[in-house]
Amino acid sequence: MSVISIRNLSVTFPGDAGPVQAVKDVSFDLEEGEILGIVGESGSGKSVTCRAMLGLLPRRATLGGRILHHGQDLTQPAAMQAARGRDIAMIFQNPASHLDPLMTIGDQVAEPLIFHFGMSRAEARAEALKLLDAVQIRDAAGRMSAYPHQLSGGMKQRVLIATALACRPKLLLADEPTTALDVTVQAEILALLKTLNRERNLTMALVSHDLGVIAEICHRVIVMRQGEIVESGRLRDLVHAPKHDYTRLLITSQPGRLPQMTDQRPDSAPLIELRDLSLHFPGKGDKVVRAVDGVSLSVRQGECLAIVGESGSGKSTVARAVIGLNAPTGGDILYEGRSVVGLKGEALTAFRRKVQMVFQSPFDSLNPRMSIQRTIAEPLWRHGLATKAEAMDRALELMDMVELPRSLAGRRPGMLSGGQCQRVGIARALALSPRVLIADEVTSALDVTIQAQILKLLTRLRKEQDLTVIYISHDLTVVRKFCDRVAVFRTGQLVESGTTAEVYADPKAAYTRDLIAAAPDLDQALAGVT
Amino acid sequence: MTETSAINLPARDRPRLKKGTIELAIGVLIVGAWILAAAGAGIVAPADPNALDLAAVLAPPGPAHLMGTDNLGRDILSRVIHGARIDIWMGFIGVLAPLCIGVLVGLVSGYYGGMTDTILMRLVDITVAFPFFILVIAIVGLLGPGLANYFVALGLVAWVAYARLVRAEVLVVKRLEFVQAAKALGFPDRAILFRHVLPNVLGSITIYAWTDAVMVILAGASLGFLGLGAQPPTAEWGVMISDGQPYIVQAWWICFFPGLAMVTLSLGFILISDGLSRRLRVSQ
Repeated sequence: MSVISIRNLSVTFPGDAGPVQAVKDVSFDLEEGEILGIVGESGSGKSVTCRAMLGLLPRRATLGGRILHHGQDLTQPAAMQAARGRDIAMIFQNPASHLDPLMTIGDQVAEPLIFHFGMSRAEARAEALKLLDAVQIRDAAGRMSAYPHQLSGGMKQRVLIATALACRPKLLLADEPTTALDVTVQAEILALLKTLNRERNLTMALVSHDLGVIAEICHRVIVMRQGEIVESGRLRDLVHAPKHDYTRLLITSQPGRLPQMTDQRPDSAPLIELRDLSLHFPGKGDKVVRAVDGVSLSVRQGECLAIVGESGSGKSTVARAVIGLNAPTGGDILYEGRSVVGLKGEALTAFRRKVQMVFQSPFDSLNPRMSIQRTIAEPLWRHGLATKAEAMDRALELMDMVELPRSLAGRRPGMLSGGQCQRVGIARALALSPRVLIADEVTSALDVTIQAQILKLLTRLRKEQDLTVIYISHDLTVVRKFCDRVAVFRTGQLVESGTTAEVYADPKAAYTRDLIAAAPDLDQALAGVT
Repeated sequence: MTETSAINLPARDRPRLKKGTIELAIGVLIVGAWILAAAGAGIVAPADPNALDLAAVLAPPGPAHLMGTDNLGRDILSRVIHGARIDIWMGFIGVLAPLCIGVLVGLVSGYYGGMTDTILMRLVDITVAFPFFILVIAIVGLLGPGLANYFVALGLVAWVAYARLVRAEVLVVKRLEFVQAAKALGFPDRAILFRHVLPNVLGSITIYAWTDAVMVILAGASLGFLGLGAQPPTAEWGVMISDGQPYIVQAWWICFFPGLAMVTLSLGFILISDGLSRRLRVSQ
């Protein structure tokens, strides 16, 4: 029996150049007890579809088609009001922004019970405690009176799930529920969702951009693109025999399926050395935040070194210290055997020409008020390597190099896609012909198909420019394909380092083993029991 | 993926309602009309603003004098039009001087932080601690009455608002990755501040400046009224209201029309400010 049936759903938003159809004629059924994955890239309409099922679209959106739930059409406001929260519940990407910061955990979970079932506060709180237990929050009784800011991201998502489950909904919608979480936490939340599905016969729709995540828990999958369903069915069948070109592209772009891009070289001389590097910041009260604590590491000429770790591991702080954006509080950083800590003036400028960085956020890392040609040209003339006119010409060549069409030269970042912005960031970093390129989570904000293109580009540039690359990432699958050596960080300390092949084949530290096991991978998930 | 991209629409397809266009248009129309009138005062004004006509003292509004005449028989309409020159000029300089100082202080304070920030912000706190208008009057009183000294007083006092505003914006912008990127690229601070930070904080300053212009003109007129601003017989709206005050009962038009002029010009400024802020809010 189907819990919900979507029939010819379409969602239209008004736009500058006429209405924009975010969802076009989408139909599917959700059978009781199944987990349906909805996968697609940004702009595919997957989130809009999901939100439409709960009537959470902005007012300016126009809805077409029908959403049937037990004979009721949920596109009607009255029917939606009755079902929302009670029969259908939803969890979101960013748990922090969906919890009331001024309300205790216990009260937040109890609230829907009071509202929908008319329970007394005491009854509701007793029920809330059971729910917190059910979502595997340790010491649930003690956590009842905690506020959201006292919990970690993973815990917040558990609380959000408990709140959603409070009214025993038949259907749980999950919109990218693990995207904002660390991989090890993601694995735990996915396991929890699986358990809930089994034990409570809870039907779920899981929206994700990550096929690996979908593969972990979903029975069936819908692939969306530009508002349309391009293909649907069991994931195993889809992966083995994709019918649509886009599905094929999506599958070949999965990090686990990318070709090996490493470039194993005979041991070359170290180019950058970190010696017992520490960065301590003053924290609350007398506490000291040890962002980086006693790290010794060397980066060899021409290699690609991965620095991996979860949030708070200090991986980005290390990179920022190397490039001189953060001053170390202890230890030393050597470049070609000479210390670069505390460089000033001309020496610092000269060093910065050698080591360049590409940043995480494609949009934030470019000045929104500058055309991309100017953005790429600026380093050249500011460093006195060319006149402004020459720099502008050279910028066009750099655009060719990163495969950006010259026709985009006059555009500002707001008019480009995320992948294009990231190419601009790379071109700007390469303008000074650096020897070292630090890439800080450069693909984590991009769609997988774009990620595959950027990785391919970086691999080509690495060879052509003889670059040494420091690749900072939380994604172990990408690192495995792309980097020669890997250094694993946890809470500011270096846990393990070695060649990628060695570390993945035989991780020495328990933490590394956890990380590798937690990384969602399409093929591994398919090989396991699904 | 950020929270805002949850509803996955490509950036350029996001509907951009041109909010604020009407306000902006009306504001520009009003202010534009005043600027034209002020620029062409010699042609537009029906009479010499300072020509005395003792035969027509305190004449009520009528065909000969559309806005009437004052106690010396001067044509109010002509004086209002000529007064626009002074008042618009006052708004312009009175905003520009504090703006330049404030933006510079705010940029340096927000960007460098630390000791520089502490010292500059305490200076701001001290200035803010005095009531704005009293401080301006005190400074003008000390330096002597006149428009030039009013500008000096404004420069000394009014920059604090800009400094605070700019500092707050800089604190946000300087954490954005493109500023970090500029640093990593080894650009000099001057280039980062003026080429990368400043253009991205100008929006809110522009919005504030138009509202500030209203305040500057009103305060200037008040000073004129108190005899500390523009000096008679200069046609300035505040001075005119001051001149008309003794005759308010028998000749209301002497105060009314300069007052009305001030209201319309202020309204124009506020509409522009409002329209701009709505527009910027939408396009960001």
